[in-house]
Amino acid sequence: MENLSVIILFLFVLFTLLGTGVWVGLALMGVAWVGMELFTTRPVGDVMLTTIWSASSSWTLTALPMFIWMGEILYRTRLSEDMFKGLSPWMAPLPGGLVHTNIVGCTVFAAVSGSSAATLTTVGKMSIPELRKRKYPERMIIGTLAGAATLGLMIPPSLTLIVYGVTINESITKLFFAGILPGLVLAAMFMGYVAIYSRLGKDWSPNPEPKLSFADKIRNSRFLAPVITLILVVIGSMYLGYATATEAAAFGVIGSLLLALGQGSLSWKTFAESLMGATRTSAMIALILAGAAFLSLSMGFTGLPRGLANLIAAWDLSRFELLMVLLVFYVILGCFLDGISSVVLTMAVVEPMIRDAGIDLIWFGIFIVVVVEMAQITPPIGFNLFVLQGMTDHEMSYIARAAIPMFLIMVLMVFVLILFPDLATWLPDNLRAGPGQ
Amino acid sequence: MALLRGLRSGLDLLYLIAGVLAAMCLVAILGLIVVQMLARWTGEVFPGAPDYAGYAMAAASFLAFANALNRGSHIRVSILLNAVPDGLRRWIEVWCFGIGTAVMWYFVWYAYRFVYWSWKFNDISQGQDRTPLWIPQSAMLLGAVILAIALTDHLIHVIFKGDHRITRDLADQSHGE
Amino acid sequence: ETWDMPLAYSGSNFHSVTAAEFGNCVTTGTGGEIEIVTHPSGSLFKGADIKRAVQTGQAPIGERLLSGHQNENALFGFDSVPFLATSFDDADKLWKAAKEPLSALLAEQNLTLLYSVPWPPQGLYFKNEVNAVADMKGIKFRSYNNATSRLAELTGMLPVTIEAAEISQAFATGVADSMISSGSTGYDRKVWESLNYFYEVDAWLPRNYVFVNSDVWSGVSDQNKNVIQACAGLAEYAGNWRSKEYTGFTLQGLRDGGMTVGPASDQLVGELKEIGVTMTSEWLEAAGDQGKAIVDAFKAD
Ligand code: NA
Ligand code: NA
Repeated sequence: MENLSVIILFLFVLFTLLGTGVWVGLALMGVAWVGMELFTTRPVGDVMLTTIWSASSSWTLTALPMFIWMGEILYRTRLSEDMFKGLSPWMAPLPGGLVHTNIVGCTVFAAVSGSSAATLTTVGKMSIPELRKRKYPERMIIGTLAGAATLGLMIPPSLTLIVYGVTINESITKLFFAGILPGLVLAAMFMGYVAIYSRLGKDWSPNPEPKLSFADKIRNSRFLAPVITLILVVIGSMYLGYATATEAAAFGVIGSLLLALGQGSLSWKTFAESLMGATRTSAMIALILAGAAFLSLSMGFTGLPRGLANLIAAWDLSRFELLMVLLVFYVILGCFLDGISSVVLTMAVVEPMIRDAGIDLIWFGIFIVVVVEMAQITPPIGFNLFVLQGMTDHEMSYIARAAIPMFLIMVLMVFVLILFPDLATWLPDNLRAGPGQ
Repeated sequence: MALLRGLRSGLDLLYLIAGVLAAMCLVAILGLIVVQMLARWTGEVFPGAPDYAGYAMAAASFLAFANALNRGSHIRVSILLNAVPDGLRRWIEVWCFGIGTAVMWYFVWYAYRFVYWSWKFNDISQGQDRTPLWIPQSAMLLGAVILAIALTDHLIHVIFKGDHRITRDLADQSHGE
Repeated sequence: ETWDMPLAYSGSNFHSVTAAEFGNCVTTGTGGEIEIVTHPSGSLFKGADIKRAVQTGQAPIGERLLSGHQNENALFGFDSVPFLATSFDDADKLWKAAKEPLSALLAEQNLTLLYSVPWPPQGLYFKNEVNAVADMKGIKFRSYNNATSRLAELTGMLPVTIEAAEISQAFATGVADSMISSGSTGYDRKVWESLNYFYEVDAWLPRNYVFVNSDVWSGVSDQNKNVIQACAGLAEYAGNWRSKEYTGFTLQGLRDGGMTVGPASDQLVGELKEIGVTMTSEWLEAAGDQGKAIVDAFKAD
C-alpha cells in the first residue's frame, strides 16, 4: 500500500513536470528530489551531486559523443548522397522498387552510426526527394523511413546497447554481436512488407525505372565504397585487437573525417558544424542521463524498485508472461520517454526480475532494443517522429499513422525473438575467437 | 539601455564560449583515446587516460548545457505548449523556466559545496591519474552556473517580453537517438 | 530506523551475501530498531563513491574495497602489497597487525570500522606457459592501478590499461595477454576462452571493509552497538569461510574451462618474492612509520 502511494506520487510529479514541458533531464531531477525529500532522511543535495558527478564523468560514456560526431560528419558531407547512387540500381528490380533504398540504406548506415535519428536524417535527406520525384506513395516513403531508421539502434554500433551494457555490466561487444542477426531479420521483415504492399496497395503507381546493364550497376556501386570502407575500419579495429569497443568509436570519427577529406567535402564549416552539433546532442543526452541517474538513486532509497519487483515476482509469472508484461510496460513508457532514459530508469527494477526468471541478459538487451525502437515512432514523444516532422513538414499524427505498420512489424519481431532466441544469442556465443569474448 | 545591451551581448558571448570549450573537450576525448591506443601499440604507457577522458566527458556535457538549451537541443514535451493559446502559453513557459531555474540554482549550490569539500578533503582520484578531483569537478560547477544563468535569462525574458529566446533547430536536435 | 547499505558487487557475490546476512542479523538482533537494507550491484552508490557517501552521511553504512583509496593514503593499500602476505593465514595475521592503525585512520575520516573480509588470493593469468620472470618479458599485461603497473615494470612486462568491463574482449582480441587477479575474476569473465594458464602465486588478498558513519554510530544505544558488533564478528568469520570455499570453486571452474591451474615453478616463486621485497620497501616509503609498524608486527612472530 505504501508502494502504491509512492508510485502515485512519483507518477504525478513526473507527469506534471514532463507534461507541462519542463526539459526531460531537469524534470527527472525534480521528481528525484521530491521523492528523496519525502521518503528519506538523507542529505538530498549532496547525494544528488555524488551521483550526478559519478554518472557524468564515466569513461565508458565517451563512446557516445564519438558515434554522434561520426554521424554528424557523414550527414554534413557528401558521403550519404553517394550511398543512394550506389544502392538504387540494385533495388529497382525488386517488388517495391526504390522504397527498399530506405530500408537497405538505413541498414547499411546503421552499421556505422550508433543512433536512429542520425540514420534517419542521413538516409532521409538523400532518399525522400528522389522517391517523391518517382511518385512513390508518400505514406510508404515516410513510414518505412521512420521504421527502418530505428535499425540504427539494433545493428551495431548502438548507443542504446552501450547504455544498456554499462547499466547491467555486460560485455558491450557481445551485445553488439547479438544485434546483428535480429537487425537483419527485422530489415527483411520491413522489406517483405514493402514487397507485399507494392502488389496490394491501391495507391502504388511509381514511375518505372530505366533498366541498367549489370556493368552499369557495378560501376554505380563504386559510390558505396567509402561507407563500406568505413564500416570495415570500425568493425575491423575491434576484431583485430587494435581497439576496444569504446575506442572503436574514435576510429569511426577519424575514418569519416578522412573519407570526407578525401572526397573534398570537408570544409572548416562542415567540421565546425558537425562538432558543435555533436556537442549539443551529447549534452542533451548527458542531461537526461544525469537526471535519470539521480532518479534511479532516489527510487533506490525509497525501495520502490524492490517493491515493484517483488510485486511482479509475487504474480508468479511464467517467463513468457513476464516478457509480455514488460512488452506492454515498455510500450507505454516508450510513448513518454526516449529509449535511453527508459533503459536507464528501469533496469534497476527489471534486471533482477530478468535474472530471477533465468532470461539471458544478452538476449534481453535485444528485446529491449526492439521495444525501445518502437518508442521512437510512438506518439506523443517519439524522436523519429520529431525528426521527420522537421524534415517533411507533415503533421506528427500523419507520420505516426504512416509508421503504424512498422510498429506492428516490430511487435511481431518480439515474438520472433521469443520463438527463436538463437537469433540473438548464437552469434555472441559462437564467436570464440571474436571480440565477443 | 546600453548597460542592458552590454549585458545581453556579454551573456550571449558567455554561452558561446562555454559551447566552444565543450566542443574542445570532445576533441580532447578523441585525442586521449587515440593517444592511449598509440601508446598501447608502441609498448608505451599512458597512465590515467580513461580518467582524463571521463573528466573531459563531464566538462563537455556541462559546458554545453546552456548552448544546447539556447539552440533547443534539450528535449521537452511540447504538446501542451503547442495546444494552448498564446497568453496561457506564456505562463506555462514561466512555470517551466521557473522550475528549471530553481532546479539548476539548487544544483549549483550543492555543486559548490561538493567541489569545496573535494578541495578541503583533498579528494584524489582513485585511478592512475591521481588528479585532485576539485579540478575536473570545477568544470562541472562552471557549466552548471552557466546553465542556471541561461535559464534565469530566459525566465526574465519570458516574464517581461512574453517569449523565451530559444531558436529551435530540429535537424540539429535530431541526432541523439 | 532503516540503514541503507550500498554495496558495489552483485547480489550473488559472496561479499554481498555476507553483508545481507549481516543485515538480517542486525535487523533481528535489534528487534527491528535498526533495519539494514542492502543495495548490491552499485545500485545506490558506485564502488568508488561509497566511502565518501558514508563519510558525509549520504548513506549510514557501506562496504568498500579500501585499497582503491591508496592514492589518498598509502595505508589503505596495506592489504595489496604484492607477495607480502601470500595465504589466508598470512592475510589474517596481516589484518590483525593492521586493524588498529586502519581503524584509527578511518575514525579520523568519520568512519567506524565494523568488519572486513578478504577476496580470494590474486594469481597470474597468462596465455602461454611462464616458468620464470624472464619468460614474462614483453607480454602485454593488464594493469589497473599504480601497483600493478609497477609490477609489470619490475617483471619486464608491458602494462596496458583496460577497464574491468572490457577485460574479456581485450583478451579475446589480444589487446592484453595476461593479468593479475583472483580466480573469481577469471571465472566470472570466462577468460579461459582466450587465456590458458593460471598460476596460484597468491600475490595478495585484497579486503573489503564494512564501515558505518561515526555520527550515526554514536547515536546507537549501547545494547544495539553490542548486537551490531556481534553480528559483525559473525559476518567476518562467515565471510572468511566463504572466501576460502569460493577460491576452490572458481579454480575448479577455471580447470573445467580448460585452463592449466596450479602453483608457479619454484624459480618463478623465488623471483617474485624478490620483486615483493622491492615493492614492500617502496610501499613502506609511501606509508611511513605506521606502515612500518604494520609490517614489523606482521613479521614479528
Ligand atoms: Na547502429
Ligand atoms: Na514514443
